[in-house]
Amino acid sequence: MLAYRNISFVIFAVVIFMLFLLNIRFGSVDLSWTEVINSLFFSNSESGHGEVIILQYRLPQAITSISVGIGLSLAGMLLQTTFGNPLAGPSVLGISAGSSLGVALLVLMGGITGVSMGSNSIFFGDFGIVVAAFIGALAVLLIIIFVSGRIGNAVTVLIIGIMIGYLVSAVVGTLQFFSSSEDLHSFILWGLGSFSNTNISQSLTILILTLLISLTTLFFIKPLNALLLGYRYAVSSGFNVKILQTVFILFSGLLIALGTAFTGPIAFIGLAVPHIARSYFRTSNHSVLIPAVILFGAGFSLLCNLISKLPGYDASLPINAVTSIIGAPIVIWVIIKGRRLDIG
Amino acid sequence: MEPDKTLLELAGVDTGYNNSSTGIKVLHSDIRCKVKKGEFIALLGPNGVGKSSLIKTITGMLPSLTGNVLIKGKDIRHMSNREIASEVAVVLTDKISDTYLTAKDVVLTGRYPYGSFLGKVTKVDIDKVIEGFEVVGAKSIMNRYFYSLSDGEKQKVLLARALVQDTPLIILDEPTAFIDSPGKIQIMSLLDQLVNNHNKSVIITTHDTDMALKNVSTLWLLGFNKEFYSGSVSSMVEQGIINRVFDRDGVSFNKNSLRFENI
Repeated sequence: MLAYRNISFVIFAVVIFMLFLLNIRFGSVDLSWTEVINSLFFSNSESGHGEVIILQYRLPQAITSISVGIGLSLAGMLLQTTFGNPLAGPSVLGISAGSSLGVALLVLMGGITGVSMGSNSIFFGDFGIVVAAFIGALAVLLIIIFVSGRIGNAVTVLIIGIMIGYLVSAVVGTLQFFSSSEDLHSFILWGLGSFSNTNISQSLTILILTLLISLTTLFFIKPLNALLLGYRYAVSSGFNVKILQTVFILFSGLLIALGTAFTGPIAFIGLAVPHIARSYFRTSNHSVLIPAVILFGAGFSLLCNLISKLPGYDASLPINAVTSIIGAPIVIWVIIKGRRLDIG
Repeated sequence: MEPDKTLLELAGVDTGYNNSSTGIKVLHSDIRCKVKKGEFIALLGPNGVGKSSLIKTITGMLPSLTGNVLIKGKDIRHMSNREIASEVAVVLTDKISDTYLTAKDVVLTGRYPYGSFLGKVTKVDIDKVIEGFEVVGAKSIMNRYFYSLSDGEKQKVLLARALVQDTPLIILDEPTAFIDSPGKIQIMSLLDQLVNNHNKSVIITTHDTDMALKNVSTLWLLGFNKEFYSGSVSSMVEQGIINRVFDRDGVSFNKNSLRFENI
């Protein structure tokens, strides 16, 4: 069993590396493998046409795709375990929508705040958007915590999350009505979701922060496992569950905000990947689940990004269309194949 | 703590809820009793009388309204969850949602109060877990998924979890509910074994009164008028206290057969 798991991890790491190379290789401009290998590993100048494309566009996009895939998937796992709800996830509970609201308030009122999207010249721009996304995500999370504290039922909480999502979208829609056309244009583009709006330093920042939070979650394997038995059993295992739940919610809020701020809301990855990881390794034990979710999150995201580039065509699909087309059937399959609605 | 072997003491405890909107609701007042090492106690009382609330109060999950819950002389209010977890283990009625956790994973969570917060599972943990499964006679189901077990098997696994927690006191809320008759007898004799061979103190709540009376040494009784009684089984039976708490038209507790019967 152990050997089988370790071999699986190695194989998936190799697959992810290959997906990464394919993401660099394919795009609207066709590049050769030589150019890919040269500019990634032996780059000494940015003279070549291909090198510029790779280092300035495709590499940041691939790195962002990996980071956001990891971040959203881990956030989904943390939310599912913390709420004891298999249907919890960044987009389903309206948390991504909350992030959008935060960003919308900041950007669409750009005239007042002085922040505008697209200009990444000022540090405050990036930073402000991340903070706004984080506050928006946390606000929705707080509402969800409040609601789920009163109503234990997973489906009810889910429906309320979806309703919050609609409400927030309506507020965003209203804001759009009152904002200038330039701000509106950049916000709508952002709202479609894309991994391609980051430069190399932004993508590396997201990657490093995401990996830092991911590594921190490895310190919480035991309390996460205990939480799977329910609140009171976790308390009886000696944990201060209220504080831990707050920590996990802050982590997921941060992870969701980090990605969403730069890429816009990305659907389904956060919900689908934890289910894929659990049903592949047939375990809910977080000592296996956390590394599995990290690997599958990166892989799933890279795969979706590769498909969205439509290799061989001169156009690309919106990333959210791809994540949903692949993600939704996987979740349906997992639920049907699984026994019941559960955190497994 | 060796001089008197009091593990748990309730000193004038009021159980109940203090809710900001509905005010204070006292369930039972001035509860005074002690639990000694190796004592087997059944907490009895009619449905809805507040047995679970008393259990929650003893385990520190619900603060007492007045009075102190003392574990080895220490006020439970000043103990961390982790400190409490090394003195008191519980088997609850809470339903555990279906996950891909194996029975072994579930039992291992009973070792969490010990290892380091981040630490790995140690050899000692594994040995304890295997031993725990042996004691409850469930070694064969160790690697099965918890959700796939029968109610009786689940109860044994949860008992093993309480056992590996290495606490002097184990509290079980309705351990025999939803379990078939042979299963009930198995669970009760297991608890008996823990008291006699492993020197544990055990408190259970149950509605299987006849079975409890045969196995336990001490009774705690809760009535609807906030009253609490404790004493040996025979004294409680002789004084007719069981009848007083379970006051129901047409049904009465027979001191000789030790059962409830139609009058």
